[in-house]
Amino acid sequence: MAHIQLNFFSSSLRKNTDVNIFLPSPEPDDYLFGQLEPFYQKGKKYQTIYLLHGSYDDCHSWVRKSSLERYAQERKVAVVMPTAENSMYQNMKYGEDYETFIAKELPEFLHITLPLSREREDTFIAGLSMGGGGAFSLAMKYPDKYAAAASLSGGLDMKSLKSEAHLEKMPVSYRNAVGNHEAAIDLIDNVDVKKLPKMLMTCGTEDFILPCNRSFYKKAKEYGLDIVYKESPGAHTWEFWDQSIKEVLDWLPLLQGMV
Amino acid sequence: MALFQCSLFSTSLCFGTSFHVIIPSPDSDELMNKKDSSYFKEGVEFPVLYLLHGAYGDYTDWQRQTGIERYAQKHKIAVVMPSASNSFYQDMHRGSAYYTYLTEELPSFIERTFPVSTRREDTFVAGLSMGGYGALRLALMCPEKYQACISLSGAVDLEQLMEAVNSGNVTGPFQWHNIFEHPEGIRNTEADLFYLMERNQKQNRPIPDIFQSCGTEDFLYSINVAADKKMTDLGIRHTFETHPGVHDWDYWDLHIQRAMDWLPLNNHKLEE
Repeated sequence: MAHIQLNFFSSSLRKNTDVNIFLPSPEPDDYLFGQLEPFYQKGKKYQTIYLLHGSYDDCHSWVRKSSLERYAQERKVAVVMPTAENSMYQNMKYGEDYETFIAKELPEFLHITLPLSREREDTFIAGLSMGGGGAFSLAMKYPDKYAAAASLSGGLDMKSLKSEAHLEKMPVSYRNAVGNHEAAIDLIDNVDVKKLPKMLMTCGTEDFILPCNRSFYKKAKEYGLDIVYKESPGAHTWEFWDQSIKEVLDWLPLLQGMV
Repeated sequence: MALFQCSLFSTSLCFGTSFHVIIPSPDSDELMNKKDSSYFKEGVEFPVLYLLHGAYGDYTDWQRQTGIERYAQKHKIAVVMPSASNSFYQDMHRGSAYYTYLTEELPSFIERTFPVSTRREDTFVAGLSMGGYGALRLALMCPEKYQACISLSGAVDLEQLMEAVNSGNVTGPFQWHNIFEHPEGIRNTEADLFYLMERNQKQNRPIPDIFQSCGTEDFLYSINVAADKKMTDLGIRHTFETHPGVHDWDYWDLHIQRAMDWLPLNNHKLEE
């Protein structure tokens, strides 16, 4: 992979921001076995996964804590990993417009500067924990932008948890800046089911966030969403997400090459 | 302005390498001062400047030591800053193929990945010291690819530099026998910039525009003065500037700005 660390000024965020990007490129084995044709084809573009981090994490987390680069390289898909602080991927009530940034400004910027496909059928969104909630929220609010969305251990219905768990330690001043959290489960009420991306949810059976996922899935099925839910042994950990992201990559409609 | 720091496996070098790419883009200055950001749209093709480091350096030098990003944004030009080790911009005799990487692999990646023009008139190469020599060498070896080249405090006469190093007048990290098979015989070879100039003339190939600048207290000053005379004698059109200064980043930060002002940029295209 070409690992690109981008820093640019965002007008939605009113500040500079970091984005990590993986762009498929020849690895030593491709060079040794003479397999250079799939890469850098002039005029062609890459399919793209927008991959979102969880609370307390940032654009570097997927890069540092998982083997995502190897999995994405095998499948020749580009991955874009933005930073959203602890914004719940919303336009904060008193703060930065992370929803606008991720759904609109960032893809617009990347379509101008990098060979990433503009087509809905080539664009996907996924995330873990807060990022799982973000992926599903953005998929439901902007169904015309994504062909598929995946949530790993997503915070899809935080009210279903007995306590707010790890969010309790977030500074109050910051939580006030975020404002009311629009839970993904509540967005189901207003969707046009026929227009939604297809969806995948995964969660570990020992994960504290499990109730969020069961309640979301139950409601999603009632409303007739095209959604698959897989539980497996595991907790809210990178061991689980490093494994689960492979399932997500296998499930996405990837063409494994430039389009 | 946007900075892309890229790391990938180079098939020419056979190991991983990094480079910085500056792409002009709407920034806080444009936002706050309500400047025109309409240049930044799908299909935009920025002119591109390949900017080379000197001895002991790498792809981070220009970014860290100068305001290059501001100058790139001002001129609306993309800037690519690669690493070339201490190769003197050659395919090393014992070492890595930096010349091939820089003239074939890297531009190919840049052109297929970023919104840059592929036209000769929009393609430039510049460098300091070893990179000043490198910029002229790349442009003179591939004159159909580069419209203009810039040397700041460049080692423009490599033969003279080698003599200075061998006689102990100048220190450098260069193990000449690693770079060249016959370091004692580089005159009239592709390592000799004046040979390349004459060859291009004889073969009726284009000669890129040349900008040469050196500080009057720089240890390479006399080499640059002699090179200027040689180019004039050969009938090679070029711009030679000298200013007070030594071989340091104060000089290069200032004079890359003058050099970029000199570049034949066709910026009116961006405003269409």
